[in-house]
Amino acid sequence: MEFLRPATWEEALAVKAQHPSAVPIAGGTDVMVDLNFDRHRPDALLDLNRIHELHTWQIADDDTVRLGASVPYSKIIDALPDRLPGLALGARTVGSPQIRNRGSVGGNLGGASPAGDAHPPLLASGATVEAASVRGTRLIPIDDFYLGVKRNALEPDELIRAIHIPSATGPQQFAKVGTRNAMVIAVCSFAVALHPRARDVRTGIGSAAPTPRRASEAEAFIRAELDDTGLWTSAGELPLSTAKRFGELVARAAAPIDDVRGSAAYRRHALAVMARRTLLWTWNDHRATGRAAA
Amino acid sequence: MKVTFTVNGRPTEADDVWEGESLLYVLRERVGLPGSKNACEQGECGSCTVYLDGDPVCSCLVAAGQVQDREVGTVEGLAQGDTLDPVQQAFVDAGAVQCGFCTPGLLVQTHDLLNRAHHPSDAEIREALSGNLCRCTGYEKIMDAVRLAAARKADARDAAPTGLEG
Amino acid sequence: MSPQTTPWIGAAAARVDGPVKVTGTAIYTGDVALPELAHAVLVQSTIAKGRITDMDIAAAETAPGVLAVCTSDGSLGIGRVASYYSADNGPMGDGRTPLSDAVIHHHGQHIAMVVAQTLEEAVAGAERIRTRYRHQSPLVRIEDAIPQTPPGREDIVRGDLTTGLAVADVTVEAYYETPPQHMNPMEPCTTTAHWVGDRLTVYDSTQYVSGVRDALASAFGVPPANVRVLSGFVGGGFGSKGTVWPHVLLAAAAARLVDRPVRLALTRPQMFTSCGTRPATRQRIVLGAHRDGRLTAIGHDGTSATSPGENVVESTGGLTSILYACPNVTIRQRIVRLDMQAPTFQRAPGRAPGSFALESALDELAHELRMDPVELRLRNHADADPSSGRPWSGKHLRECYRVGAERFGWDPADRTPGTRREGDVLIGTGMASATHEMDPGPAAAYAELRVDGTAVIGVASHDIGTGTYTVLGQIAADVLGLPPERIIVRLGDTDLPEAPPSIGSQTVAYVGPAIRRACEAVRDDLLAAAVADPESPLYRREIGAIEFGPRTYVAELARIGEPSVSAVGHHHPDANSRYAVHSFGAHFAEVAVDALTGTVRVRRMVGAFDVGRVINPRTARSQLLGGMTFGLAQALMEATVIDPRRGHVVEPHLAGYHLPVNADIGTLDVLFVGEPDPHISDLGARGAGEIGVVGAAAAIANAVFHATGVRVRTLPITPDRVVAGSAVGG
Repeated sequence: MEFLRPATWEEALAVKAQHPSAVPIAGGTDVMVDLNFDRHRPDALLDLNRIHELHTWQIADDDTVRLGASVPYSKIIDALPDRLPGLALGARTVGSPQIRNRGSVGGNLGGASPAGDAHPPLLASGATVEAASVRGTRLIPIDDFYLGVKRNALEPDELIRAIHIPSATGPQQFAKVGTRNAMVIAVCSFAVALHPRARDVRTGIGSAAPTPRRASEAEAFIRAELDDTGLWTSAGELPLSTAKRFGELVARAAAPIDDVRGSAAYRRHALAVMARRTLLWTWNDHRATGRAAA
Repeated sequence: MKVTFTVNGRPTEADDVWEGESLLYVLRERVGLPGSKNACEQGECGSCTVYLDGDPVCSCLVAAGQVQDREVGTVEGLAQGDTLDPVQQAFVDAGAVQCGFCTPGLLVQTHDLLNRAHHPSDAEIREALSGNLCRCTGYEKIMDAVRLAAARKADARDAAPTGLEG
Repeated sequence: MSPQTTPWIGAAAARVDGPVKVTGTAIYTGDVALPELAHAVLVQSTIAKGRITDMDIAAAETAPGVLAVCTSDGSLGIGRVASYYSADNGPMGDGRTPLSDAVIHHHGQHIAMVVAQTLEEAVAGAERIRTRYRHQSPLVRIEDAIPQTPPGREDIVRGDLTTGLAVADVTVEAYYETPPQHMNPMEPCTTTAHWVGDRLTVYDSTQYVSGVRDALASAFGVPPANVRVLSGFVGGGFGSKGTVWPHVLLAAAAARLVDRPVRLALTRPQMFTSCGTRPATRQRIVLGAHRDGRLTAIGHDGTSATSPGENVVESTGGLTSILYACPNVTIRQRIVRLDMQAPTFQRAPGRAPGSFALESALDELAHELRMDPVELRLRNHADADPSSGRPWSGKHLRECYRVGAERFGWDPADRTPGTRREGDVLIGTGMASATHEMDPGPAAAYAELRVDGTAVIGVASHDIGTGTYTVLGQIAADVLGLPPERIIVRLGDTDLPEAPPSIGSQTVAYVGPAIRRACEAVRDDLLAAAVADPESPLYRREIGAIEFGPRTYVAELARIGEPSVSAVGHHHPDANSRYAVHSFGAHFAEVAVDALTGTVRVRRMVGAFDVGRVINPRTARSQLLGGMTFGLAQALMEATVIDPRRGHVVEPHLAGYHLPVNADIGTLDVLFVGEPDPHISDLGARGAGEIGVVGAAAAIANAVFHATGVRVRTLPITPDRVVAGSAVGG
């Protein structure tokens, strides 16, 4: 096995081009488990820890956060809860403090496990993945990124450099059901983001389908409801029946399986509950902020 | 490969390190510091928690090569000579130690918590220590120990001369 | 000179092993560094039933660093050692000789071993082994197997169950299920073995050094005296280290083969197939009662899983025969043979799953009767052991109910389910009884007085986290008139006098008195010689009037020119006691259940326990708190999932097998009720290691019912089970 330690991003891309089978390692929270359990023994490890820029973020003129792939969850929680509230909430539920000091969104995306906690908020925020190789850089919309269980849209010579996430323009929420109060692998999870300027609502579902996915029908429903009833303008109370219907449509968008952590039927049920709750929370937040601003 | 790093303030070199090896293995088997414990190898139990450049991490999930030129702190480095760190002393005094296998990781994690939060609430303590599994104690005595250590550290801060009072 | 009211017994002394454990300098088995240490790894079967038809080891044998590759051909020459569950009552958890034939009995069975210079080389070598099997379809579901009566086991029948049910005003019948559970001590089982000629030294993480010694002596045909087993610190056991498992024999075989010290550490995934499990149970309980709550009938049928070769019985009905006064009782225990690893005793064996069923059923009966569940239990209080008629050695169960209910704030009037709501959260309270029978074992111990004013005590017992080092030192301190810090306590070494395994909550109860006997013997021998010696200042003094302490014995030792004197003491508990010896307790729990997602959080628990004399309230409290948390885990989280077709453990690791984390625990409180037990020993201490588990899961299940009206009869109480049983929901 080789241990490759590029010092710069350009060097990393060159190394990855030469060794497409090299496994990138940053926080090690997935890669080292495979090595420790001897599940997978790659030809080479590609250590990204020395590339400083991957641990940094920038704010673009349009308020989009360009989040370095290796920024640990603990930094997102501490430094970006206002701009990326949904992701920060999801990050808080990742593993333990020790894991959050090492794990990163880049790792979650690279692993593409349907249970990854970053995925639902990224879907709800409308993030874009910046992937690069010696051949060039491309921006992959998050909706196109997840291809299957633990499969993503990266080419073998590509590395994730950053994730572009629009700063929140409205309330965002994240919810997760598990058997423990911490260190929880999601039975299922859900994120919702209100985008008041665009009069849009976006969602993300985790652990309830082969890939993280949006609940498109639920989004279309709530968009139409909010438009038709003039609620965006009036900032009135969201009827419970609307939230319930939204929840049902979210549950319908899932394609869960029975597994060790929960039955398919339970996952649908819990998703409906979480979707209803988080929609009401965000809408009530939105109304409160609106009133405060008025 | 060879890995050169600092452990508990001492420059350290490990030879013949396998590229897929963890920092935990290097510490235990190559550097002679078996205090950090190997209990799950997947970051689920926290028994191997060490400082890496000042942040507590699971050393089983750090590839050995990643610590090149970096600073590692282990349970063996918490005490000042024969004087236990207040966190260590509190774990002894509160009876927070049973089989002791989770203890080294818990101490490092608690040490970090109390450096960052001087008066953590119970909820903060439980959250901060939720990556450290203990199968013996039921956590109550660990809570007692953290509260005790926090209180003693606060007393020590109060007692310390500020430099402003003549 | 009576040590009955003395300063150290009963003191909340700090653990003497605390300082080495907080500095990372306590040496556990996996920390033992020996020159030329080689590493062994085990290759495990990937099928659950069948035969190995071919194993290609050529590539492994030539891999870098590999010293030896052993296959299942029996060539290691390991002799047969009897199992704990056989008629011979041997030390093994599984009596099959490892690597002795090609038959596969369970998934994860050891089928090969690779020994190499380094662990990485051993793992890499093991990876190169190619195995072919002839598969057979395994039987792994309890429902698919035919229950059998365990050999030598008779049903417990008292009175007539049918009559008892016929005269009942109210009957309750219910089925309960508990899953297989794994002990998962934080320290995985590890063995380091080293031969010099025909003498073997083994460092092992074990609850039973003498058993390991005997097993190794038999397996390798050497006298037990040639085998020394050391186990100074053990990172938890909970039963997984209470018998000897095949990997221990394999480590010693590897060391003999390569003529170097060898370490064999099970990985966490291997812990799920290599050192026992609490087996799954299915239980049926039928209760009959008069309208006033008096029980007329108890039927308890328990079926538990075992392996093809071992007759392990999870005795779910054990506590049912003694817990309540009832004239008509029938308890049947059956086993089913599944293609699985041999199960074994896990903390509170039988009683943990048995109490979940029995104490849930009592709660169901209380609900039917519209009666306070505490009152129902009081009305059926057994004033003497109902199974034998013997008086109790000591029992303060009524006090446990009373004191526990008071501390908890138990409201007997508030028993209607589903009435306490905080938003979407439903609040409920529940309670259960606890009991744990003592199983007496003889022990010997050693005590030595030294001229430097210190003392040494020693016994081949263990501190598996329980506090043995501390508590035995306290017992000795009172006899010797020394503070514990001047007493060196030696444990975990077969060179010391023999003690029972550290299982069954028996260490303090039975090893404690042996320590006391040893200390009394060395003290009394010294004094007897002194008062008879005209040269001694103690000449002709009355022994009982001499205040004994270091000043006395240092002067005497100096005078007679001896660096030290020592003695061995024995404790032989009365196996045919005319008393029934049990610990008792009561649990109270409050839960908060999300009415919509079904997640359950335990907000607080109070346990009140009668464990006889409490030698050290600090260590005893921690044991009981840990036991309650163990029960909480069984109530809400712990389950080993077995693939129904292929028979493997699904997700054999700590990300898949959930143990409670700190944030899962609410406020736990332990109360000690009762007094020294005058009939177990002159020490008066019964066991406290396991009773905290017994009934805890039932108290939580009963609280969930009270919160939601949903009776979950299958552990663990996962959110999907709460929702499935609920009419509320989405």
